[in-house]
Amino acid sequence: MKTLIKPWLIAMLWIGALFVLEMPAALAHGEKALEPFIRMRTIQWYDVQWSTQKFNVNEEVSVSGKFHVAEDWPVSVPKPEATFLNISTPGPVLIRTERYLNGKPWTNSVALQPGGDYEFKVVLKGRLPGRYHIHPFFNLKDAGQVMGPGAWLEIGGEAADFNNTVKTIHGEIIDMESFGFGNGVFWHLFWGVLATAWLLWWVRRPLFISRYRMLEAGLEHELITTNDKLIAKAVLVGVPVLVLAFNAMEINRYPDTIPLQAGLDQILPLPAQVNAGTVNVDALKAEYNVAQRAMVLQIKIDNRSQSAVRIGEFSTGNVHFINPELPAARHKPDGDAITTAGLNIDDKQSVQPGEQRVLTFVAHDAAWESEKLDGLIRDADSRIGGLLFLYDDLLGKRYISSISAAVIPKFS
Amino acid sequence: MSAQIPIASFKPYRGEKARLARAYDYLILVLALFLFIGSFHLHFALTVGDWDFWVDWKDRQWWPLVTPLMGITFPAAVQAVLWDEFRLPLGATLCVAALLIGTWIARIFAYHYWNFFPINMVLPATMLPGAMVLDAMLMLSNSLTITAIFGGAAFALLFYPSNWPIFAMFHQPVEYANSQLTVADLFGFQYIRTGMPEYLRIIERGTLRTYGQYAAPLAAFCSALLCSLMYVLWWYIGKWFATVRYLAKI
Repeated sequence: MKTLIKPWLIAMLWIGALFVLEMPAALAHGEKALEPFIRMRTIQWYDVQWSTQKFNVNEEVSVSGKFHVAEDWPVSVPKPEATFLNISTPGPVLIRTERYLNGKPWTNSVALQPGGDYEFKVVLKGRLPGRYHIHPFFNLKDAGQVMGPGAWLEIGGEAADFNNTVKTIHGEIIDMESFGFGNGVFWHLFWGVLATAWLLWWVRRPLFISRYRMLEAGLEHELITTNDKLIAKAVLVGVPVLVLAFNAMEINRYPDTIPLQAGLDQILPLPAQVNAGTVNVDALKAEYNVAQRAMVLQIKIDNRSQSAVRIGEFSTGNVHFINPELPAARHKPDGDAITTAGLNIDDKQSVQPGEQRVLTFVAHDAAWESEKLDGLIRDADSRIGGLLFLYDDLLGKRYISSISAAVIPKFS
Repeated sequence: MSAQIPIASFKPYRGEKARLARAYDYLILVLALFLFIGSFHLHFALTVGDWDFWVDWKDRQWWPLVTPLMGITFPAAVQAVLWDEFRLPLGATLCVAALLIGTWIARIFAYHYWNFFPINMVLPATMLPGAMVLDAMLMLSNSLTITAIFGGAAFALLFYPSNWPIFAMFHQPVEYANSQLTVADLFGFQYIRTGMPEYLRIIERGTLRTYGQYAAPLAAFCSALLCSLMYVLWWYIGKWFATVRYLAKI
């Protein structure tokens, strides 16, 4: 008896502990799970902003920003011929009411062009109160989810107040939260009652052992009566007739139905914003120092603009390395993206108009590790990609280059 | 196999034996109900999956093709046992009813209360009319061949029209974002599914384009042919898995 009580007692204590101890909620949703080379060299997000981070049920919030589709798209990732700008939420705690790409409203998936520049805006409406960590992100067909910078959104108010009405082409106002539910339940109940009657017709009489014995004894004719056959014939004829009659009624009720829409949008990119040709940057070499958690990039800058330019920021995988010595590179954080002042440049002199110069910068921060970007050196395609932001000395005008290079690890 | 009981010497159970046999009936029925709720629901979720989960997956081509094809499996297997061994023509209806019980439980608790989707966005389809016809066909014909050809075909052909009264209203057009959507499409756009980008929908894809716009009947007839074959396959799977060896010892 003792031997039985002890394990039970331990088990109960464990179960009790589960209720007593604080259980932290899992807040991440796999934004670092995708291999680094995909996060760095596919969708390169920048200037992502949320209109507000605190609002109520039924109120709207928008997230807008820009992204560049990397020219150096990984060969192992299918080209972005079908993509979908999505929002990572724990279920539909918000609904998506509008979405724009390059100013055009769109609802389907879209084909993107490598090297293309796009700006987006998504309008969301609060549905369920709570505090949620939300990202804009791109679903890439056959590749995965490339997360944009996330933000904590706090939705107040009451869930019961949420309303979402839509007007059909015929002018009928429908409530999306309840539309068609009662009708669906009715038809399930209708067929459910008939099916239950059929089941009860058979279940009411002795079943397995009795019928098995009778069948074995050759009394099959007693197992199926004349009434059974009559009912079966009624089912065989009546059910299809009912189905076709109800179907015809429904066709008359909704004569203008259309099939589900399954288009793929083709939205052209904006005029070049990144790699626009005024200031060209070419990455020559990249080394990652594992011990120092520092990426050393050697680049060649070709300044064809009218002003001297300097490097202000390097961003990759939602981590922004800022040059602390350049006031123009005042960075407004993209949601909760990592921003660090860990950008050092060996040659601090501006690159003059018409000048070509090779220089080296170091982006160092623990974020390489905490954001799981340092896994790049163990990737099959260990090339880094990111956006380099340069600013002119006079007006602070920004030039953006998408750069990429193979990464050589340095272990000591 | 047990030895045949001669008709002359057959005596029906009475008294305590009859009560025990009846208790056994109920025990098996309850167990079967839970077994089919779990197993058929799992099978259906893994094979039909999104076509049955979401209102914006219920298209004219794939939904009426895939759903009956995967839905006739368990009914055929259970019919094989219940009809062959007990002359009980309720296998298909029992299976589909169990499936619907499991589906409704999942839609209400998993999709609505747990993941916040409105239930009307995840209304399940019904296969009960086809299942009843399948049971009646088997009973009246007492033939695997006839049931497979005509019952299997009826199971597939009745699927789309029996569900149209539930889902037609979701195919009303809506003008939205400078384009035309169905109400069902709008559910997919508005109610965010992180793991379900629009391009994942396997809808309206195929080569049924040379018959005007009559994709649904063609998909249904294609499904009817496949259901006839699937019925036979799963009939024999049912026969293979089932045994009455313990019953024979009673």
